[in-house]
Amino acid sequence: MANFFPKWTNQLPWKLTVCVAVLGTAITGGITYYFTPKYTRVGYEPTQPVPFQHDLHVQQLGMDCRYCHSFVEIASHSNVPTVQTCMGCHQQVQAQSPKLDAVRAAWNGGKGDGPAVNWVKVHRVPDYAYFNHAVHVNRGVSCYSCHGPVNDMRVVFQHESQSMKWCLDCHRAPENHLRPPDQVFNLAWKPASSQEQHQIGTKFKEEWEVNPPVTCGGCHR
Amino acid sequence: MKRVFHHPQRPKRPRIWRSLAELENSPGFETVLQREFPRGADVYEDSGLTKRDFMKLLGASMALAGIGVTGCRRPEAYLVPFNKGVEWTIPGKFLFYATAMPLRQGAMPLIVSTVDGRPTKIEGNPLHPFSNGGTDAFAQASILDLYDPNRSKAIKENGVEARPEAWDNLLKSLSTSAEGMAFLVERKNSPTRDRLREELEGKFPGMIWCEYEPLGTSLAQEAISASFGQGVRLLPNFERADVILALDSEFLNQSDKGVGFAHGFFGRRGPDQKDAAMNRLYVVENHYTGTGGLADHRYRCKASLIGEFTRQLASHVSASGDDSALASILEACPKTAATFDEAWLSACADDLLANRGRSIVFVGEQQPVWVQILGHAINHALGNSGATIMGLAADEKPSASLGDLAAAIEGGSVKTLFVLGGNPAYNAPSDLNFSDLVRKVSQSVRLGLFEDETSKLCRWHVPAAHYLEAWSDVRAYDGTYSVVQPMILPLWNGVSELEILAQLAGRPKPQGPALIQETFAQAFDTDPERWNAVLRVGFAPGSEWPAATLSFSGSPPGARDDVKPMAEGIELVFLQSTSVDDGRYANNSWLQETPDLESKVTWDNVALVSPATAEKLGIRANNFGPIYQVAEQMGNNIDFDVVADLIEIKSPAGASVVAAAYVAPGHADDSISLALGYGRSGVSALFEGVGFNAYPLRSSDAQRFLTGVQVKVTKGGYPLAQTQEHRSMEGRDLFREGTLERYQHDPKFAQTMGMDSHIPPNISLYSHPQLTGREQWGMTVDLNSCFGCNACVVACQAENNVPVVGKEQVRRNRDMSWIRIDRYFAGEPNDPEMLTQTMLCQHCENAPCETVCPVNATVHSDDGLNLMAYNRCIGTRYCSNNCPWKVRRFNYFDYNQRPLDHLYAGPLARKGMADSLKMAKNPNVTVRMRGVMEKCTFCIQRIEEAKIARLVEAGPRNKNDVPVREFKTACQQACPSDSLVFGNIREAQSPVSQTRQSDRAYVMLKYLNTQPRVSYLARIKNPNSKMPDASRVGMANGAPHHGAEEPGVDEHEAKEHDPGDRHEPEEPTPH
Repeated sequence: MANFFPKWTNQLPWKLTVCVAVLGTAITGGITYYFTPKYTRVGYEPTQPVPFQHDLHVQQLGMDCRYCHSFVEIASHSNVPTVQTCMGCHQQVQAQSPKLDAVRAAWNGGKGDGPAVNWVKVHRVPDYAYFNHAVHVNRGVSCYSCHGPVNDMRVVFQHESQSMKWCLDCHRAPENHLRPPDQVFNLAWKPASSQEQHQIGTKFKEEWEVNPPVTCGGCHR
Repeated sequence: MKRVFHHPQRPKRPRIWRSLAELENSPGFETVLQREFPRGADVYEDSGLTKRDFMKLLGASMALAGIGVTGCRRPEAYLVPFNKGVEWTIPGKFLFYATAMPLRQGAMPLIVSTVDGRPTKIEGNPLHPFSNGGTDAFAQASILDLYDPNRSKAIKENGVEARPEAWDNLLKSLSTSAEGMAFLVERKNSPTRDRLREELEGKFPGMIWCEYEPLGTSLAQEAISASFGQGVRLLPNFERADVILALDSEFLNQSDKGVGFAHGFFGRRGPDQKDAAMNRLYVVENHYTGTGGLADHRYRCKASLIGEFTRQLASHVSASGDDSALASILEACPKTAATFDEAWLSACADDLLANRGRSIVFVGEQQPVWVQILGHAINHALGNSGATIMGLAADEKPSASLGDLAAAIEGGSVKTLFVLGGNPAYNAPSDLNFSDLVRKVSQSVRLGLFEDETSKLCRWHVPAAHYLEAWSDVRAYDGTYSVVQPMILPLWNGVSELEILAQLAGRPKPQGPALIQETFAQAFDTDPERWNAVLRVGFAPGSEWPAATLSFSGSPPGARDDVKPMAEGIELVFLQSTSVDDGRYANNSWLQETPDLESKVTWDNVALVSPATAEKLGIRANNFGPIYQVAEQMGNNIDFDVVADLIEIKSPAGASVVAAAYVAPGHADDSISLALGYGRSGVSALFEGVGFNAYPLRSSDAQRFLTGVQVKVTKGGYPLAQTQEHRSMEGRDLFREGTLERYQHDPKFAQTMGMDSHIPPNISLYSHPQLTGREQWGMTVDLNSCFGCNACVVACQAENNVPVVGKEQVRRNRDMSWIRIDRYFAGEPNDPEMLTQTMLCQHCENAPCETVCPVNATVHSDDGLNLMAYNRCIGTRYCSNNCPWKVRRFNYFDYNQRPLDHLYAGPLARKGMADSLKMAKNPNVTVRMRGVMEKCTFCIQRIEEAKIARLVEAGPRNKNDVPVREFKTACQQACPSDSLVFGNIREAQSPVSQTRQSDRAYVMLKYLNTQPRVSYLARIKNPNSKMPDASRVGMANGAPHHGAEEPGVDEHEAKEHDPGDRHEPEEPTPH
């Protein structure tokens, strides 16, 4: 009786196995890497209507975050400054700069009835998650923990994935992020080492009794 | 040891029942009950989409999704700051302003939350001396009227949009040379309006100022003027009242003062008061009202016989006293050949006589004037005037009646008619023929929120500003002065009444609060600080009307033409609708979908008849039958539906109305009650086909009731959207009540009732959640002080973005309300007791819903909340199946994205909601989408806000050094009678802990060991042992499961069992 299968089929099973394994690994790896907020969100750097430079304002001019984001300590939102806030300085400084055209147009010589400035949202939390800025900054979580080194950024981009797992990592172990209260808005502050961070974080966590919610209701209402 | 533990058996004929169908155990009801979910709730009918079609569609959309991916980009979203900072505005934070909602005779003092400049939620002003922070359903829902996309938006002349200049010119020309000026306005206590009225009267001699309200108090004012003189207002002092008799008077639920009265009344209603006895309430009425449900003794009486009842009561009172005024008035009253339960009447009169100076007799404000005068005379004879009924010297100016205006128009002396607010073309008495009258006036101007019946008659229509859009001022019922502060600029160029009046008076168009400030400066103070203080707290403290001594000078009403004996036969009684008032809220979908307390019907009004009368007339009680044959042929079994018989009601004058009849237990015989305000058309889709218009039968001399109507059953059935049959009590001890005597004798009777005395020690298969939170939230519901006003229901809807589903969906049992008021009847169908029980998620510690969720979408928090994570929910609805309380709600459609008449449309059909309605949403609560389960969250957004505020305040300190800021849930805040108490049950001093420890506290279905966080306080009744029905009062409890015949007999059970066998009061700690 002739061979039912040709000879080359002897090698088929292991070839197939290898192919499927490689393909499977590639797909799994691809999805794990590319389909997560870490890939899809981090690095998002849209072009803004006004080429505002955080590095210039913070590092060269030494401005505090709260000069513009004035309600971050009391409100759930960290507000984007009104055009009025910008014009407070830019009526004198760089008053004719073409980069500020959109701002001046909105200001319209003090009437404030021009077209509003549409800043493009970089960090976007879904509607069903209720993040509160005030509680974080008041309890020793720095802007840095979620927004990264904004003080160094020429154009703001997303630095952290801001996925739910990322939130929960900190909510489960806040000691890795708690800072001395006076360093919350100092984005240049860094602990000497991760041990030191852990040490002071644990101290604050116990002293202030920080136990962030990890139940759904903490963020989803 | 194995213990088999059964539910108590459902009795064949239940003691407590929700509907006649349940009482009769009809087979239709039986099948409905057997289902976990009401049938039809999960049917996707009318779609014509088979499973095969669905799979095809699914495949196609997957393929399309593949094409789309290449163009997949992160959608851009924008942050748009204000150009100029707005005073006080902080993005993401609520701002609270005090204002007041003008009502017929008073005002509802309010605090409005605004976010980014738009008002989103209305709450009562807790500082106000009269309202004490309560509200009613109307005030809660009024915010939806503000955002109603159907509001009128343009000035129109003869139905065509006019240029604003044309309107300004008209006002200018009228202000200089107007003859025959007449104003038809709504009743309002606005000092500024009164001032402008005076100015106008000076300017236009002979001007007619007419105030009209279909459910107004002109009759009551007439009676008070005749009894106590002009300009007197009566204010009951419940603190001193031991006995209260209400004759056709729903004194707790009149929106302009009931909220204020409720606080006083319930202050004396508690059985646990230290220094005073519980008051006793007698109610005589023709249909069940919330007040009647509370009554210790209730007597069914036709509304037309209230006069005769009052007369007979007065003669009892008169017989045992020497009050000459009462005797002479009594002499002049007509006699009707009617007999009442003599024992009831005399025992009630004796109780009043025994409490001279400590009782109140209320007579309904729509009753004929002579009946009300008689009521005042009884109060006077009992020595109540000045003791329990105080007088206030109100500075109200009399105004012309609608009849006077009609006569003037007929006489041709009216050239220009301003109809400011109201809707007289729809609701004026039918004998005046208002539509014809308006046509006789050459220049008619109408100011209204909607382009309605009246607008179509008038030459000019001007869109009105909502009360949250324009400055005004108002006095509360007790005279306390409030400023009506606008929260937002007029959305659609609305004009306020005051603006028009001021311009007519020759003033420039008022800007901002200048007009009101002027009034304030004249009346109170020129100090701007004082003005700011009034704006801040919402009222001027100490500005109530001064007390007036009440001297009864009641002349015998003999000379009056309304004094006549009442006719025999069937009467038609006109009710204030609990949903749309007199029709003014007809376009308010929140209110339309709030079930009426008595009938539990939504989106309709029904003609209520008693079971005996129904039988006499051949009206069938609600039946479960197919609406129409076609549906059956299509294979759609719609037996969940309630179909009512249609009846035609014909007045002696020949007018008639066809209405759906509803057999209402506890209704008076030979009497039909029909709520006003329905049956409108032509304004919006919401209006169409909703209810039946009773106004054509109402005439000037028949405001409350019409006697001698002809009734016959007509062909056809009418489907009703009723929420009542959806759920049943099944004979369990859900509602508990007892008499005051029993309570004093056995204070813990409610805790040992029924199954609760048999509960074995707790053995649970499931692990108890770790309740480690420092705060443990819980609630108590005091059944003793709930009268079913629905304020909590609408407040919850407003706070939690609960969608409206429409009549068709309610008929399929898909109503969405998170909190509902269960209404039960107990006893014989003709004269039962009515029970109201507020029902919301019980936040069980061992929640049955959590154990069955396959995706952990409903879980427990460490502070004892039963959470719902919408994003995890995949819509299996197991949780709802397993919920013993049936408080979970499922989004069968995208109710927020689809217009209600497009719910069944395909995926490509129109979506989205009106922009203005988006503005009404609470930004702190997720708007749920299709396929998601939802339920009461205990207002978690408020809990979290309070907790966050505490943490922000604590900052770098131990958070426990700072207490959690006080807050109330939406339902609790709205409750005018403080029936709902919410708080931290871990804190021993908190009100909720205190009430949970009450002897009256019990939890529902305790033997299931779900450990609910909501406790109920048993209702206590205070019957008079001399009354003939005393033995029946306070007995409305589920069947005792040992088969004992008498409901109150639980003593043997208590003895039979070792007390150690009972379950200990639950602790919020892990077991």
